[in-house]
Amino acid sequence: MVGNDIVDIAQAKKDSNWQRPRFLDKLFTLKEQQTIHASDNPCIMVWQLWSMKEAAYKLYTQINPSRFYNPKGFACEIDNKKGFIRFKNFNCYVETKITSDYIISEARLEIKSMTSKVTILESSEPKLQSKTIREEALKVAIKCLNISDENAIIANSDFNIPTLEIDSEVTPISLTHHGNYGAFAIA
Amino acid sequence: MTKEELITKLKAIVAPYIQDEEAFKNLSEDTDFVTDLKINSANLVDIILDIEDEFDIRLENEDMEKMLDVKSAMTIVNSKLGS
Repeated sequence: MVGNDIVDIAQAKKDSNWQRPRFLDKLFTLKEQQTIHASDNPCIMVWQLWSMKEAAYKLYTQINPSRFYNPKGFACEIDNKKGFIRFKNFNCYVETKITSDYIISEARLEIKSMTSKVTILESSEPKLQSKTIREEALKVAIKCLNISDENAIIANSDFNIPTLEIDSEVTPISLTHHGNYGAFAIA
Repeated sequence: MTKEELITKLKAIVAPYIQDEEAFKNLSEDTDFVTDLKINSANLVDIILDIEDEFDIRLENEDMEKMLDVKSAMTIVNSKLGS
């Protein structure tokens, strides 16, 4: 089981104004808002917490197939760059990597090093990005697992949750794309 | 407010955030913000804030949870407006 999420920092700055009135309050717990305001770089902290929440949501919906919008419900704690998230009775660990261009988070049920592979995407069109990142993930899976490409597909289960299917065996997979970047993680 | 008036208002609200023109042109009650209009999930909060401003209402976390398509947005706005 794995959930990941990538934020293209330049794209996020262009598309969202996190300083908009009530924006932070709608998405972040009081504790997270304090973390943002106390941070040396509040903008990066906003998107770091956001990517952590999205990654945890993807992991949660892989385990509990469903669809909803409740970023505030996924409460984040960051301790020495290690993330921990609680949502109702669900807990997970989140690893985050921040570069000057993007922020990527990967959520797991146990502490594990990041496995997400990041790719630069040429098209900014969401449908094409989704297609590219699926093809990349499939290529890597075929190579790593040494299988024939006819046997493997990336399918969408209910609620648009992707899975890697080899013959009839189903492996959870997480795909993400935003701005110029895409990434995938195979569980 | 009639159903058509509400859809027209919502259409204007989502317009700046859509990434699929074709789905936007054909927007109906059944249109999904994320899977059809390809709206980034980080922009869903902007739509929620714009709805609050446009209708002078406040949406709680429980309302936000369902804000994934036009139909749910209509139901929530109508319930808040008490009509």
